[in-house]
Amino acid sequence: MNEIENDIGRVMAEHDAEAPGAADLLYAFGHAPRPRRRRARWYVPLSAGLAVAAVAVGSIWAGQLLAGRQGGGTKLGGVGGGVRLTCPARYAGSAPWVPVKPAGVDGRHRLVPQRTPNAALICAYAGSNTEERQTGWALSGRRSLTSGLAGLAGQLAWQPGLLPGQDFPCTLIGGPQTNYLIGLTYRTGVRMWVAATDDPNACVRTSNGEFTSFGIVGVTVTRAFATGRWPTSPPASCAGHGPGAGRLGQDKAMVPAGSTSLIICLRHRDIVKSGYHALVSSLNRLATRPSTHGCSHSQGPGALRYRLLFTYSQGPAVLVLIQSGCHPEIDNLSLQADSASTIIPLIQQLLKTK
Amino acid sequence: MLAEFVAHSGDRLLRVGYQLTHDRAAAQDLVQGARVYDSVRRRGGGPEDWYAYLRRAVINEYVRTRRLRSTGEIVTDLVPDRPVADCPEDRIADRSQLWAALGALSERQRAVLVLRYYEGLADREIASLLGCREASVRSLASRGLAAMRQLAVASAPVQEDRA
Repeated sequence: MNEIENDIGRVMAEHDAEAPGAADLLYAFGHAPRPRRRRARWYVPLSAGLAVAAVAVGSIWAGQLLAGRQGGGTKLGGVGGGVRLTCPARYAGSAPWVPVKPAGVDGRHRLVPQRTPNAALICAYAGSNTEERQTGWALSGRRSLTSGLAGLAGQLAWQPGLLPGQDFPCTLIGGPQTNYLIGLTYRTGVRMWVAATDDPNACVRTSNGEFTSFGIVGVTVTRAFATGRWPTSPPASCAGHGPGAGRLGQDKAMVPAGSTSLIICLRHRDIVKSGYHALVSSLNRLATRPSTHGCSHSQGPGALRYRLLFTYSQGPAVLVLIQSGCHPEIDNLSLQADSASTIIPLIQQLLKTK
Repeated sequence: MLAEFVAHSGDRLLRVGYQLTHDRAAAQDLVQGARVYDSVRRRGGGPEDWYAYLRRAVINEYVRTRRLRSTGEIVTDLVPDRPVADCPEDRIADRSQLWAALGALSERQRAVLVLRYYEGLADREIASLLGCREASVRSLASRGLAAMRQLAVASAPVQEDRA
């Protein structure tokens, strides 16, 4: 056998795992009404009998097999319009870059739609941020996600957007960087790409080509790539908010609507509060401007610092930083407001209440 | 009986379907289109008999439906680009191109290559499956491999200009 024959055998074997499994077949026999090109006379009565027989005979098998493979919602991954995604051989632009902009879906106002995709593919392009060439990185790996797709949608759909012209300073740590393309397909036939990067400075943006976010999801994508499943988001906490905080809508209101709890981060403990709506109203009444992720200290009495974490039933939390004597004094990473003089008394009052 | 067949050979048959179509949904359609249930019910025998019989049915269904369809449109997200010489990532990219090229072969060429290199069948068995002469199988394989070699030449590593 010559080299190309060996290569063909290897390529076929490499793609073996992508094939649907017996569980898919039983599931399809039992559930999927599919349009057929040929409708022979035997088809209608047989299909009804087939469905009944398959469900009855195969239910135990199907249950076992389905449990051992992907989640039920992702079973018929390619059915929606028959679309499938292939990783581009190269990451052709500067990060964040996507091969095509979203089509058939509103990609301007959200990173991804608020619905669970039926399949997700991660393409990895490994390199270093110290390389002379920051484009054209070759494909270094690909992985289809087998579970956690609802969590993926929940996290990505709520990433905060950048305001026009907004830019932030970044650290300049050199080191390995992996650019990712996350390919998503939906049952409606829509497909789209999201670019995310795991870089040493946690500074490369996340984008679908139309909507760009400063939210950092690269570390999460690295974990998903390693395990084949989108990791579950940990509960919001002061210790864990890190660069993951930031939520869609916080560029329009300091605290977007729908918050379910408030965590006040003090030096040694987190205090969870309810009944904080007066605080939200006051924060949202402040005059704001785009955040620069920085403030300037001025002379004055000892500074008061608070970190407020507003959590939501789905998606990331909103972090509001308050530091008296450092102007502007309030910052939610999208918006800044000059004075915290009306806000700090409300926080202190909340801290006093049990 | 259906459950027994699916448990024994369903995965195997679907993998052949996937190698032929490169599409999960199409692979399922192919296996279902091969009247698996009907065949298993009518034919009797054991799972091994069913597999050989149904593989033939799947191959025939594949060739038949491809002839009927053929829109000429190939949907791909591959960005046309040429790999740089001698790095492992390029070899990964080359294999992606090889896979894509397999998908671009004619239905009979692809069927022959899948049966030969994936199923490991002899040309005589392939000829019997496809209902043609052994010489035709060799010819189809030869032309398929030539097309693959052309792709390999077209995507051969190029030297990057580092000036």
